[in-house]
Amino acid sequence: MLNYIWLGLIVIGIAVAVYGDVSDISAHKYHNGETDIVELKLASDSARITPNQPLPCTVFYRRTEALKNESNSTIVHTSTFSGAPTEPQKAELLLSNTTDGTLHIFLNDKAPPLWNGRLKAQKSSDYLSARIHLTTDSGATAIGANLSFDAVSFVNLNSVTNDGIIKYAKTAVELAIGLIGIMALWLGLMKIAEQSGLTASLARLLRPIMTRLFPDVPADHPAMGAMIMNISANMLGLANAATPLGLKAMEELNKLNRKMGTATDAMCTFLVINTSNVQLIPATVIAIRAAAGSRNPTEILGPVLIATFTTLIIGVVTVKLLAKLPFFRKQLEPEGQG
Amino acid sequence: MQSFVDIMGLISIIAIPLLVLFIIVYGVVKKVKIYEAFVEGAKEGFNVGVRIIPYLVAMLVAIGIFRAGGAMEILGNLLSPVTRLIGMPPEALPMAFIRPLSGSGSLGVMSEIIKSHGPDSLIGRMVSVMMGSSETTFYVLAVYFGAVGITKGRQAVLAGIIVDAAAVLISVWLVNLVFG
Repeated sequence: MLNYIWLGLIVIGIAVAVYGDVSDISAHKYHNGETDIVELKLASDSARITPNQPLPCTVFYRRTEALKNESNSTIVHTSTFSGAPTEPQKAELLLSNTTDGTLHIFLNDKAPPLWNGRLKAQKSSDYLSARIHLTTDSGATAIGANLSFDAVSFVNLNSVTNDGIIKYAKTAVELAIGLIGIMALWLGLMKIAEQSGLTASLARLLRPIMTRLFPDVPADHPAMGAMIMNISANMLGLANAATPLGLKAMEELNKLNRKMGTATDAMCTFLVINTSNVQLIPATVIAIRAAAGSRNPTEILGPVLIATFTTLIIGVVTVKLLAKLPFFRKQLEPEGQG
Repeated sequence: MQSFVDIMGLISIIAIPLLVLFIIVYGVVKKVKIYEAFVEGAKEGFNVGVRIIPYLVAMLVAIGIFRAGGAMEILGNLLSPVTRLIGMPPEALPMAFIRPLSGSGSLGVMSEIIKSHGPDSLIGRMVSVMMGSSETTFYVLAVYFGAVGITKGRQAVLAGIIVDAAAVLISVWLVNLVFG
């Protein structure tokens, strides 16, 4: 089952990315190779445009068109700008000679959608970078200019490579390494609790419930105590403690496993209890609601408790019923030759 | 109600120190050599952390590809007729999909929805209940099974997905019932 989910996530993810990129290209979404006609206003009236000196200005987007002429220098636009006027965007002009250079545009939330799309595709910086060619005299208050951009394509596939594959592979290791310290702490404390008999007495206390939930695990097995510690930590919302305690419980459960690499019934039940998130107080959710200015951040407490315990019961019943299916039973049998 | 939030905050602050203190003091009372016992147990921490890396990389990269390629939006569009039928606003659908896949992702989606729709809107309450009542199933599966080298998850995987689906349906139904 994990095989199919893994395959499905990867194949669907890449297929959707390819589909999105191909439809972007056929819809000509980023107007590659076309030129944006814009109007510039310098930040201060006294400023003069001098090459190689960054100059703050505002830029107004007018329209995008495919300019036929390859050489930019022969295109001269009059100072009457057609196209709907748009909100001004802050920008920084840097010319390398009197007419050509680069323009860095700092987009605000009213920027033209085309520019936002290009910025997202560019992703490396917080400004949109364009090549600029001034088309009217730089002495005028409103300066006409043509902008051209690097061609944008395969946005989704790029994102799969950078945001998906590379970033998440790194995140996985960071998560695991980050777990080591807290893991060591709780495993150490668990050892004390084990030797002092604390886990055993906890297990004795909850014996009637635990033996029904996990009939395959002997009532006085250390796994019982570890599982109780994990479930209690979950209930109290101590996520940092719950994971190490849960992994300890899995190790204890694995000592009872007769077929390494395959989950036992007890492990499956234990995991489903963990995935149904039994916590008495959803502290993170309440904190976010309070921060967002809710009149009553805790009003969701009732529904959360009902939902979480209903799903817990559904989960335990489901996992126990599924365990009876011949398909899952067969996986427990020792493998024969070949 | 503010005082209730404060009490909850206080509990989550003192719970860990109290628990640590309790375990250690109980150990002393029972004449355990606490320092030796702690170090002996803690030794295992490194091994467990390293052991889960391959499982975590496999699972998170697959989830990363799925998210980055834009599959979440397409699934949302495909399923919008179904969600309308059960009384779920289409804006809440991304939450239902991302919840089992990514903890930080679902926290982001939830904060986003709460910010744009308001915490006291129907949809804001709906994502709050979804967030509080379900868990990052695939992360839990990868880490817990990974720690003991299990690749065949048997019924746990299917049951986990059923639990997630049930959590979404129950959250939608309950919020519509209580706040609708």
